[in-house]
Amino acid sequence: MDLKKEGFILSSSPHIKAPISTRKIMFLVIITLIPTIVISILYFGSSVLILYITAIISCMITEALIKLIRKQKVTSIFDGSAIVTAILLVMTLPPSIGWQKVALGSFIAIAVAKELFGGLGQNIFNPALVGRAFLAAAYPVSMTTFSKPNTVFPFLADSLSKATPLAAAKFDKVFTDIPSLFFGQVGGCIGETSSLTLILGGLILLIIGVINWRLVFSYLGTVILLTTIFWLKDPQNFASPIFHLFSGGLIIGAFYMATDMVTSPVTNIGNFIFGIGAGLLVVLIRIFGGYPEGVMYSILFMNACTPLINRFTKTKAFGT
Amino acid sequence: MKTFSKGIHPFYNKELTSGLNIEKIPLSPKLVIPVLQHLGSPSEVIVKKGDDVIIGQLIAKSSGFVSANIHSPVFGKIAKINPKPIVGGRMASHIEIDVDIEKTKNYVWEKQNVDLSKMTSEEILTKIKEAGIVGLGGATFPTHIKYTQPKDKIIDTLVINGAECEPYLTCDHRLMIEKADEILKATEIVSKLLPLKSIIIGIEANKQDAISAFTKILKNYDLPIEVIPLKVKYPQGAEKMLIHATTKRVVPSGKLPLDVGVVVSNVGTLFAIYEAIYFNKPLIERVVTISGDIVKKGGNFLVPIGTPIEHILSQVEVDINKAYKVIFGGPMMGVAVPSLDYSITKGTSGILFFSEKLAKTSEETPCIKCGNCMKACPMNLMPNRLAAFSKAKKWDVIKDNNLYDCMECGSCAFVCPAKIDIVGWIRYAKNYIKSKNL
Repeated sequence: MDLKKEGFILSSSPHIKAPISTRKIMFLVIITLIPTIVISILYFGSSVLILYITAIISCMITEALIKLIRKQKVTSIFDGSAIVTAILLVMTLPPSIGWQKVALGSFIAIAVAKELFGGLGQNIFNPALVGRAFLAAAYPVSMTTFSKPNTVFPFLADSLSKATPLAAAKFDKVFTDIPSLFFGQVGGCIGETSSLTLILGGLILLIIGVINWRLVFSYLGTVILLTTIFWLKDPQNFASPIFHLFSGGLIIGAFYMATDMVTSPVTNIGNFIFGIGAGLLVVLIRIFGGYPEGVMYSILFMNACTPLINRFTKTKAFGT
Repeated sequence: MKTFSKGIHPFYNKELTSGLNIEKIPLSPKLVIPVLQHLGSPSEVIVKKGDDVIIGQLIAKSSGFVSANIHSPVFGKIAKINPKPIVGGRMASHIEIDVDIEKTKNYVWEKQNVDLSKMTSEEILTKIKEAGIVGLGGATFPTHIKYTQPKDKIIDTLVINGAECEPYLTCDHRLMIEKADEILKATEIVSKLLPLKSIIIGIEANKQDAISAFTKILKNYDLPIEVIPLKVKYPQGAEKMLIHATTKRVVPSGKLPLDVGVVVSNVGTLFAIYEAIYFNKPLIERVVTISGDIVKKGGNFLVPIGTPIEHILSQVEVDINKAYKVIFGGPMMGVAVPSLDYSITKGTSGILFFSEKLAKTSEETPCIKCGNCMKACPMNLMPNRLAAFSKAKKWDVIKDNNLYDCMECGSCAFVCPAKIDIVGWIRYAKNYIKSKNL
């Protein structure tokens, strides 16, 4: 046989690549969300599982259709990003919401927030949060009707009310105990209640460097700092910083929503700015605003600022 | 341990060849020598078809300020002189020599009686220039220019580059182990040229045997030499990174090492200087690492300049039919070649043969703004933006984003999860702007 003498592959250097890919990153995020998925099903029943499946199917079909219309490769729907959006969207919805609304929210998340902007990597806003914002505006009643969680941890006090701890604190000055909040045995959105599992998953992502610690800690730190000031001044009327930390969507927001690579700044300083800005907005909305919760709006607002933050925090090249 | 900030940790695979002594392989019956083996203008051919040449004879002479002489590595006859593409695609004349194997094999370079104290710096510089020595680390910049004392600057530090941060390559590693004394003798020579206050040998810590090869014999030299072990990180051997790690000096954007009083030379270059002074031997051979994932038995070989790949292939165990990529240089900054019709030049530190598995390129997917490239960039640039600006042909914007500070080390593209050919896009921008004079 003749020896091969030509036809070797030509490409620009480098000729070796690290064994990472967008797909791997997305599936890592999904894996770290599994404990939260499991506990949300335990708290709110198997109907929640149907919602996850509905959202995943709806997100993937929406993306596939739009890719077909745009004459792009449909296989990109398997990169995992649509699945992450679907899971995160469901996690921010009340357990009693119907599957039809979930399907619609998923459609909006992918079609409007992601594909209209040009698809993966091009979107300004976190798609899951846009889906949630749309549903909050379209179905204000179902989006604020919460159900009592099942008793998963018997050593915790049974959840007394259907209201979320933040609503109870804001409107009735009733402060839920911290252990219940931490384990998530309280009323709230499907995947936001259990700080335990979210922190577990989030820490894994922090350690392997998928999410930026600067953003997570500056976000949480700002909320803790500001709520401490109010709490120290008037503990009767203002909830403790620990309460704020573990209630509502702050933990899922800080670890999984704000840290979305596409919609958060790329620079180190930018990540601090994003975190501090979002933390400030959460506290402003929770304490002075009309809503009991402000995580969603804080992140969407900072998403809008991200291109500007990137522009003003350009790195300084070595030797300049 | 000293190092620079950022950078990456690729898989090194140096153990494939790092334990193998530098070996001479049988001479190739034919040498093909391009006249463009250095940075600058091509050398001018001064022989013609049918001429007999002797070993060390000048066959193409330096043609400008930045250019270099080229000598015949063998006894033989000029078979033809033809233009052909060199590695990277530019065209240049190639001098083909039919080798007189017996005569060449039996030739011995005689050691000269050298008294450095009696040599002037002009004499030394002329010898280096005549010998056609260029930087052997890969950039192939003519060496005599580097060691010429600039008018308005004082060069007080020599940094000897023994980092060898490119994966797979071990030619410098072996040279340091086997020729440490000769390399130090070369530092004596260059100390005559520049008012050096400090001579630093920077070596990555994964080459402890090379570090100790130097430290053992340092006491024999009355020179301010220091061996500095460096953290194993790519691109530790990049000039600006190495200078920063070893001297804390920062070469400003757009400036040269001499602007901060430093000259950097690869260990191979210093060995060539030693041979030029002590043996009157021009740069006619070099050490080349042959490696890669399909190479069963590679090695570090001392081969004459102009030796064709095919001849080297006959001396190593590699199933070329399994090769999907052939790379001149290291895997991070080396150049892929389309065929085997190329030969060893002064800048060839290695030839790598990659299987389909390693050669396969993944499809580019959209940038997800993960920032990995920024965490990797040793020059602290924003590679993702440079690539995006290049794609969008925003030439003014890209120039404002430090395009020319990029040295194309490839760290960004290595860590990119979207498999974006960031370096390719950056090169495209540089070439486009240059070709259109924008």
